[in-house]
Amino acid sequence: MSETTAVMKKEDTPLKPTLQLRSVAPEVDILENEDEILLYADLPGVTREDLTINIDNGKLTLTGIRKLKAEGAAVWEELGDVEYHRVFSVPQSIDTANISAELRDGVLRLHLAKSVGAKPKKIEIKTA
Amino acid sequence: MLTRLGDIDRMFRTINLLRNSIDGFLPDFDRSSPWTAGWPGEAGTPKTNIYDLGGKFEVRAEVPGFSKEDLSVKVQGNYLELSGSRTSEIPEGYSVHRIERNTMSFTRSFTLPAEIDADRVEAALQNGILRLSLAKSAAAVPRQIAIG
Repeated sequence: MSETTAVMKKEDTPLKPTLQLRSVAPEVDILENEDEILLYADLPGVTREDLTINIDNGKLTLTGIRKLKAEGAAVWEELGDVEYHRVFSVPQSIDTANISAELRDGVLRLHLAKSVGAKPKKIEIKTA
Repeated sequence: MLTRLGDIDRMFRTINLLRNSIDGFLPDFDRSSPWTAGWPGEAGTPKTNIYDLGGKFEVRAEVPGFSKEDLSVKVQGNYLELSGSRTSEIPEGYSVHRIERNTMSFTRSFTLPAEIDADRVEAALQNGILRLSLAKSAAAVPRQIAIG
């Protein structure tokens, strides 16, 4: 009588880090006037080098990475390394070639200028 | 049976996968602050980390949009108080589509685990993060004792 034992081979793959960078949507304010749409975003701890702003096919994508480089034992911890990520739909009236951005004190200010055709125009009425 | 570390790790990875896909269903406004989510009372106070480096404490606080003048730091004994106010930046003539950022004014205090030397406190503001370095008072610094 032959005895069969089920042999199951365990794969000994090295452990990979389980947690990726936490993705967080930054808080934003969106304002508009006749000439532009103005967007403010709170990105505390993100440097200019770690922030990318892409506009493609009517989608504006903000991606910023914050690394805290903390040392020592944490006594109290509420913030960590995060990836700020948020996508906005941009109306066609925005002139994509004319967008300016500035980052100061952890706040991004993004000026999206409207294209000339989208600005309000006053129509003169001719008298006959 | 989960016997090996690898099995446990695989289990956690599955949980993370699940959590990420749940995150995908939730609208953006629910994800803006994962650390304080579900704690409405804490909204408007900056998130803060405190680290103990033996001889000193390091503090990091999230204060986007605050300038040096908007913030104040007070220290006494083992008590640390951070306060500040940020004014609204909405310029004239703009209509508002969405306001999520707080025009916050906050006061937050901490009782540190050890006394600090008020004369040796350094504060710096960089990219919207306030960094404090608080040296412990001489009595609170750990000392190496030689065994005679």
